[in-house]
Amino acid sequence: MPEFSLIVVLVIALALIFDFTNGFHDTANAMATPIATGAMKPKVAVGVAAILNLVGAFLSTEVARTVSGGIIKEGDGGVLITPELIFAGLIGAIVWNLVTWLMGLPSSSSHALFGGLIGATVIGVGAQAVDYNVVAAKVILPALIAPLIAGIVALVATRLAYMITRRDVGKPDGRGGFRYAQIFSSSLVALAHGTNDAQKTMGVITLTLIAGGFQAVGSGPAFWVIAACALAIAIGTYTGGWRIIRTMGSGLTEIKPAQGFAAETSTAATILASSHLGFALSTTQVASGSVIGSGLGRRGSTIRWSMAGRIALGWAMTLPASAIMGAFAAGLALLGPIGIVLDMVIGTILIMALFRWSRRNRVTHNTLLNDIDDAGRVVEIKKTPRRARRSKRKKVSL
Amino acid sequence: MIDWIAFLIVSVASMFSAAVLVSLYSLGLRLLTTAGRIPLVEPHEFTGAITILPPKKAAKQLKRARKAAAANPLTPGLKRLALYAGYACFVLCAIAVLYGVYLIVPVLHG
Repeated sequence: MPEFSLIVVLVIALALIFDFTNGFHDTANAMATPIATGAMKPKVAVGVAAILNLVGAFLSTEVARTVSGGIIKEGDGGVLITPELIFAGLIGAIVWNLVTWLMGLPSSSSHALFGGLIGATVIGVGAQAVDYNVVAAKVILPALIAPLIAGIVALVATRLAYMITRRDVGKPDGRGGFRYAQIFSSSLVALAHGTNDAQKTMGVITLTLIAGGFQAVGSGPAFWVIAACALAIAIGTYTGGWRIIRTMGSGLTEIKPAQGFAAETSTAATILASSHLGFALSTTQVASGSVIGSGLGRRGSTIRWSMAGRIALGWAMTLPASAIMGAFAAGLALLGPIGIVLDMVIGTILIMALFRWSRRNRVTHNTLLNDIDDAGRVVEIKKTPRRARRSKRKKVSL
Repeated sequence: MIDWIAFLIVSVASMFSAAVLVSLYSLGLRLLTTAGRIPLVEPHEFTGAITILPPKKAAKQLKRARKAAAANPLTPGLKRLALYAGYACFVLCAIAVLYGVYLIVPVLHG
């Protein structure tokens, strides 16, 4: 039994940090729409999402070894990825996740992880170690198709929801009832997320443990790994990436309960169908596609295509950007122990700087209310007292 | 290399299941409304995405809902039928969601 080396401990710690960022990055996928329509209180919504992520991580015990998914050639004639390279890849992934969070962009955490690992491998082993065909087939193509499928499904679902509940003008249509349904549909998305995304970190940690000789080749994640990953992603989810929630909930289009329900159902259906049929689509991309689709499905709603463009740009940049950062970190890590210490220091400084930057304009569940609506509400409340109304109207005359 | 068939299957499967779920729930709501039990669910929190109704307008809507319920052309028996049919839709919807949970948890289906 080899000793528990420092690098293995470092990789495990970084993997858990990545899991945490993954959690708060992806809270929006499930909970942005119910928060936006007022189906759930923001704090309650992230709490539910956190619990379901925790439960979901325990529920699925399928071996998470597909994390490198054959992208990095292993075994015969291939290379063994070393803990140092995983370490470097994780730094790249974490930094990119924080950058996109700061910009409020919903970007795929798994793409960041893949990108970081690819970048680290290219520097550490060489460009021939990466199977670009697999990258194209398993990462890039699904990234183009996922939002498209989800968008079309959400568009049709929204049309259906409005068509079925349509009544004569002036008659109540009861569409507020979709708020109840949203609680369940968004919970389903959160549960699916827990079973998918916590697995990736478990896979990384297990891969490291196997590479370090602590665990038999081909064995599944140990219980403490599952528990630690589940906890990390749950805490991350509860922290709530409010910036991304704001983007998804009101940045792309105005969401009404029927649309929110249609979008969440489409997200859940698409994710479940794809993972059940053996390949995983990015939760983030599916959810963003659904929101846009539901916006297209309702008559009279507008989509802020500039925001959609920014998000798409973020997606396109995720893989190369985290690859470059992973490559940079790997270049340092290969210098030996000094390089790893240097990596740690630079990584910590970067993370601290990003958090510092985020303090400048904090976005919390309280700031989700935008100022205009707040003002509107105050004005409406002032109108309520009946007697004062007439005299006030004369004075204020808005 | 690229499995186009898989993408096609996923699109069809997700389209089908989402359409069925949304239709069932919408139909349930529609039937409840028809039965005179109009669900008025207030938002928990007012975020940027919600158009806020002034209290006067909200009260007007509630009044209109009551009036529509009173002026329902259906006989009491038909109303009850619509109500039960609506509930049946919700139950079917719940079953579909449970099936989704069943799909998520690999322990349940091996």
